[in-house]
Amino acid sequence: MISIKTIQTAMYEALCKAAVLIPPDVRDHLQRTCDEETDPLARKHMELTLENARLAAEGKGLVCGDTGYPLFFIRAGNTAQVEGGFGSLWQAARTATFAATEQNFLRPTMVDPLTRKNPGNNLGPEIPKIHLRFDGLGDDLELIAVPKGGGSEIFGTFYRMMYPSDGKAGIFKFILDSIYNSCYAGKVCPPAIVGIGIGGTADICMQIAKEAAVLSPLGTHHPNPEIAQMEKDLLDAIRQLGIGPMGSRGINAVLSLHIRTAATHTAALPVAINAQCSIGRRWKARITGKGEISYTGDIHG
Amino acid sequence: MAETIIDLKLPLAPQDADRLKLGDIVTVSGMLFTGRSRFHIRAIEENILPLIDFEKINCFFHVGPVMKQIPAGWEIVSIEPTSSIRFERYSAQVIRKLNLRTLIGKTTMGPETAAALAEVHGVHLSKIGICGNQISRQVKKVHHVFFLDELGKTEATWIFEVEKFGPFFVDIDTRGHNYFEQLDKDIVKNLDKVSRSLGIPADFNYTQVNAGNK
Repeated sequence: MISIKTIQTAMYEALCKAAVLIPPDVRDHLQRTCDEETDPLARKHMELTLENARLAAEGKGLVCGDTGYPLFFIRAGNTAQVEGGFGSLWQAARTATFAATEQNFLRPTMVDPLTRKNPGNNLGPEIPKIHLRFDGLGDDLELIAVPKGGGSEIFGTFYRMMYPSDGKAGIFKFILDSIYNSCYAGKVCPPAIVGIGIGGTADICMQIAKEAAVLSPLGTHHPNPEIAQMEKDLLDAIRQLGIGPMGSRGINAVLSLHIRTAATHTAALPVAINAQCSIGRRWKARITGKGEISYTGDIHG
Repeated sequence: MAETIIDLKLPLAPQDADRLKLGDIVTVSGMLFTGRSRFHIRAIEENILPLIDFEKINCFFHVGPVMKQIPAGWEIVSIEPTSSIRFERYSAQVIRKLNLRTLIGKTTMGPETAAALAEVHGVHLSKIGICGNQISRQVKKVHHVFFLDELGKTEATWIFEVEKFGPFFVDIDTRGHNYFEQLDKDIVKNLDKVSRSLGIPADFNYTQVNAGNK
């Protein structure tokens, strides 16, 4: 049985670590981008971003001041048990989010959509969001805290219901145009991590796009060779656009690109795009059935 | 090659602003105020403005800072410039109303803002990289905060005294030219070529399901 206090601690620590640390795969990709860009402004964008992250890791601020939407992606083993039942996860997330905001690891950013009133604690209907799935036979629980920035969510979200006759050309056109649009003047904070969902219902499509963006280890490709080839072709094409960091003249509009698919209606071809910030904020807590917590920025860790 | 960073004294003098070219890397020193959506909407729709002398505190920094209350006042945790383009609907009116010659933010602004900036000899400066921790160190003093109770820490208007604050780059100059608009001409050409290389026909149209419907 995993106690609610243990889950609250894991959620709080994972949120705080995500706010001040860059995951190792993201850091490697940012450094490679910095080394590859030749335009002086493009390079300077990357140098300052890396310097900013270094200061945050030393306890001198946040990886980015916009800590955005508090999201949790939770995977529970089939035999995992949570004190008070799984419904307690939602209250634990609220407690952890409240505390992380109070301790200034999260900026109070969540407001009512109509009155625009800010309660100052990042809590509200549906927020923090928990995605829960059961997978594996163990009694463990893994949670990934994702404080998802506004730049990527606001400027990097696109959806289109296409039709089978639009085919691969339609999919590619929609993705290319969306990336061009999201990168203009650095809106999405390029180099963005891009998730693409193909198939499903509208909500499944967006959900798999978001998971592709925030939960994929950078630089990896889809296990299906045909989909992996689409990822590579798109990445190669995007590098030819001439868009660099923060929309400057350069190569790396995108840091990594990941496609996920879902079965869909025979009449439909839905495509969704969701970007993750270049700094790829996510941190994982693993809790064993005995309640031991370990933390890592490595998605496979 | 050593890069040149120009330090601009705030309030920015029109003749100093006129000397700036697109892509110039600059810092600013002096007094500035902060705000984002709520500042713009309230300033124009409700004529609600902080009680400051906008001739002296003339630089508008688009940001929602992370602030921490300490016994001696306020401490900055992080200040990451926010996307200026979201304020395009009201920005030109705010610039004319307050005679603002320096805007600082993320991304850029549209043609109406550029036209208003040209009238007052003003510029928009865009952030370089993610920089909130570096630039928070260049704030020498948090002088005051307006609208804290009504709007909260993120949307409140803060008055900062800054020294060599930046670096930023000039993305809109006093002639109304825009760095990104110029860059975009090349990108649009590339987009066309790249689309062909991915097998997207030049005349591709998405399937229309309201055929004949205008």
